[in-house]
Amino acid sequence: MSLLTRLAGRQLLTQLRTTEWRALLLASWIAIALTTLLAVLGDRLERGLLRESAALLGADLVLNSSRPIPADRLAGLPLADIEQTPVIQFPSMVGQGDNLMLVSVRVLQSPYPLRGELVTEPPGSGIPAPGEVWIEPRVMTQLQLTPGEQLEFGYQPLKVTRELLASPDRGSGFRSFSPHILVNAADLDASGVLAPGSRANYRLLFAGPPEVIHALEQTLRPTLASHERLHALSTDQPLTGNALGNALGYLKLSALIALLLSAMTIVLALRRFSLGQHTRSALLLNLGLRPNQLVRVYLYQLLLAWLLTAVAGALTGYLLEWAVYHWLADLLPQALPPAHWLRWLSGAALGLALLVLLGLPPILQLARIPVAHLLRGDTPPRDRTALLLQGVSLLLLAATLLAFLEAPLAAMGLLVFLLLGGTLFGWVAQAGLQLLARPLARRLLLGRLLTMRLRQQRRWHQLQAAVVVMLLTLLSVVWVSRSDLIEQWQAQFPSDTPNYFLINIQPWQKADVDHFFAEQQLETELYPMIRGRMTQLNGEPIRPQLTAEQQDHNTLRRELNLSWHAERPTHNPLVAGDWWQPGDTGAISIEQSMADELGLKLGDRLGFDVGGILVEGEIRNIREVVWTSFRPNFYIIFNPEALQDAPSTWITSFYLTPEQRTLTRDLLQQFPSLTLIDIDQLLNQLSGWLQRLGDSSALILALSLGCGLMLLGVTLLQALEQRRFESALLQTLGVTAEQARRLDLLEFLLLGLVCGLLASAGAEGVLAMLHQWLLKIPPRLHLELWLSLPLLAALVFVLIGGLIRRPLRLDQCYRLLRAG
Amino acid sequence: MSHLNHEEPIIEAQDVAKSFRTQAGTVELFRNLKLSIQPGESLAIIGRSGAGKSTLLSLLAGLDTPTEGHILFGGQSLAQLDDAARAALRLEQISFIFQSFHLLPELDALDNVRLPLEIQGRRDADNQARHWLKQVGLGARMDHYPAQLSGGEQQRVAIARAFATEPKVLFADEPTGNLDDETGHQIIEQLFRLNADAGTTLILITHDIDLAGRCQRRLHLHNGRLEEMSP
Repeated sequence: MSLLTRLAGRQLLTQLRTTEWRALLLASWIAIALTTLLAVLGDRLERGLLRESAALLGADLVLNSSRPIPADRLAGLPLADIEQTPVIQFPSMVGQGDNLMLVSVRVLQSPYPLRGELVTEPPGSGIPAPGEVWIEPRVMTQLQLTPGEQLEFGYQPLKVTRELLASPDRGSGFRSFSPHILVNAADLDASGVLAPGSRANYRLLFAGPPEVIHALEQTLRPTLASHERLHALSTDQPLTGNALGNALGYLKLSALIALLLSAMTIVLALRRFSLGQHTRSALLLNLGLRPNQLVRVYLYQLLLAWLLTAVAGALTGYLLEWAVYHWLADLLPQALPPAHWLRWLSGAALGLALLVLLGLPPILQLARIPVAHLLRGDTPPRDRTALLLQGVSLLLLAATLLAFLEAPLAAMGLLVFLLLGGTLFGWVAQAGLQLLARPLARRLLLGRLLTMRLRQQRRWHQLQAAVVVMLLTLLSVVWVSRSDLIEQWQAQFPSDTPNYFLINIQPWQKADVDHFFAEQQLETELYPMIRGRMTQLNGEPIRPQLTAEQQDHNTLRRELNLSWHAERPTHNPLVAGDWWQPGDTGAISIEQSMADELGLKLGDRLGFDVGGILVEGEIRNIREVVWTSFRPNFYIIFNPEALQDAPSTWITSFYLTPEQRTLTRDLLQQFPSLTLIDIDQLLNQLSGWLQRLGDSSALILALSLGCGLMLLGVTLLQALEQRRFESALLQTLGVTAEQARRLDLLEFLLLGLVCGLLASAGAEGVLAMLHQWLLKIPPRLHLELWLSLPLLAALVFVLIGGLIRRPLRLDQCYRLLRAG
Repeated sequence: MSHLNHEEPIIEAQDVAKSFRTQAGTVELFRNLKLSIQPGESLAIIGRSGAGKSTLLSLLAGLDTPTEGHILFGGQSLAQLDDAARAALRLEQISFIFQSFHLLPELDALDNVRLPLEIQGRRDADNQARHWLKQVGLGARMDHYPAQLSGGEQQRVAIARAFATEPKVLFADEPTGNLDDETGHQIIEQLFRLNADAGTTLILITHDIDLAGRCQRRLHLHNGRLEEMSP
């Protein structure tokens, strides 16, 4: 081993006994573990569920349509050498006995899939034979099925022959997360579950040589209709609007807080370390070490530290990833593939960037220390180069962090929010502390000393308060909202709020369905649903008449569900105009927010393309719609005459008490093609997701809190000499050691109380905003926060402060004062 | 490095001035200071606290640069050497002994003495270090760490370290300042004995008149002037 590495190793071993190096190591350990966790989990999720790869699409090219794809759709296209297969996917209720569940059905023909493979138990190839069904473990569990048993699929019972463990071509969006079942196309007609006009996704999968596929894509893309989409590998974009992708982004953002805190801890630990290294550096230079050799000694020391934390961090990251993956496993649609091996190194790489970029500036400064420091105590000048280097290092580090998070804008936003919030909280906390100390100053023996101390330490108090308040605020918000928000959101609905939607009711079934509900004495109202695209305003094409922002409006980007009705829906009060009279024609009722956002007013004429036919109407009134009422709601309702001849399906929603739930079984037995959506089941699924997401981000924030506590310790260390000197002075002037201790603890206690109170206020503020704007329910006070946070913060400050402050004996005081 | 000629002085200060800028204005420590030190000589610089003794020592050792004038080391002006050359000069020809010993706490006595030899790349580093530790009477305590040694013993390790590289010039800044009288006395005895044996030039800074009396020449730094004191 060379002299320099040996020196570095010895230095590190000695430094391991100091608080600042322990904090530095712990901070980089957490940063590396967290980064490894997110990089690996993120990669697995993306490879398994989020990225359009051949294995995920099940093909090289997919034509996606919300309507049946006509046989002549592909006429004239270059299809030589191309393999193709059609898939239909739709939601449906399937069951066994009294157990019913909503699943996503994929109707297949051989060959399938064209790329990737179906993983089943027992293993095998091909697709389900006619009369057979393959189902995912979640269906197996919920319906308590075992292989060999029958699954009721509309009129057609199917035999469960295999468990489906993983499959490509899951479709996009919410349907890809529902439990899936695979059936043979030969069973579809007999089941009666898919009637014309029912909601379904029709796909054509293509596979072939790359150049042929490319040619097909080029020819197909310009011919796409508004209800068609083309998914090609060449785009290789993450699927947009995917909740899982958003959740992953959210987790990465919450990790930014931990990474920032780690970086700050490392900066301050190195600051204190390098301040203590002046004499040593001067001595080593004096003994003949060249400045570049000295830089190498310290760099080696950092690299050794990195090696330690990289191994520990990657290992911890591995364990955390294992735990989180198993935690999420039953919510994930299928098992995820392993991460790319490089991802395992990304945490360590980020750790290296952190240590080297933050460590280099103080190390280079150490190499510039004059040897005369040994004689006269000179310190190196802080010149522009050092400042510039520090600036460049911080910028590089920020760029590295942003690149890792893959969402630069959101991360920058969060960064600015944290900085502003931190500054504000730090300032308010410091002012609050002064205010609190003033009455104490008059009453307590040490009161005057306390105000002096608060003034002297105010810079550090601001930083400490900023970190602690922000962390406690975020942690409380996540903690409270993970269960509280959904519960409160649900609690606001009256107890008879509909808990089922029934869709895909065919016109010829309407009378029978009405009859069924009347028999069961259930109050429901059926609404027709017609698909149409808004194309015209006042006789002219609509788009050119709108602003760019308006053109991007939800109602213009897709086909709308239009309805017609003679009476005003009772749950839609009018805010302008009048409802039409029988016999009125060409009348439209429009939803309030759509009218506002698109600037539409009473008297405007709107035109819709309904199955190739232009249907027009004049806006007669504007309705208020509460979208969360769980009743059928529409942006646009026509008068009956305008649309009643257009092809439609019907929709309704209704409320069943727990005792009435068996009715769903009777309903589906009688009308197997209807799709019943159990809102409670969906909400439970959603709250399950939110809860796990909340727990995952609470885990990350708890790690952040760990970083925050270390940062707190390191900031207390920075002023330790000053504190000790002051303590020594006071003790030689007659203050007892006990009084000096009380002064310190009083300072920490007050600081903790102020931080806790501020964090409670902050958390209440954020929660109130979430209630008001997100859930639109009146905010409530969380008394438990106001009690627990000040106590917790005070405890944290007193404990950490008590650990870091060391009592001084009188003889030590004297020596300290003599040394200056 | 130039070969030293015994006729010419090893260190020479020519009209050296040193001043500092402070908030209160410029403070001049000394002006027109002349000094010539012959090889093998022992010389004490005495003066009150704040007289500028340590600054003068850093100038003579090339750790600092004068505001005016020149310092010659072995006939060569230090101002003409860059940082690297000055570091090389210190490595090969100069050693220091400090008031507060300045040992590396994580190295034992042997490693502390061996360190500068290893930096020089000497193959006999280990033998040399052992030899010099025996010379200062610490042959039995080579594996002790600084924290396990008394103040006097730590300073003896520092002396062994200073002599181990066989320097031409040894600078000692208040070497007994942190020691009690008796230990200080023993250290001084050892320092002068080794110095006589090795023929090193010794430049000693002290405010102790008795200690200064052991040197061949004594210079008094007072009000910015350097005065030769009679023996």
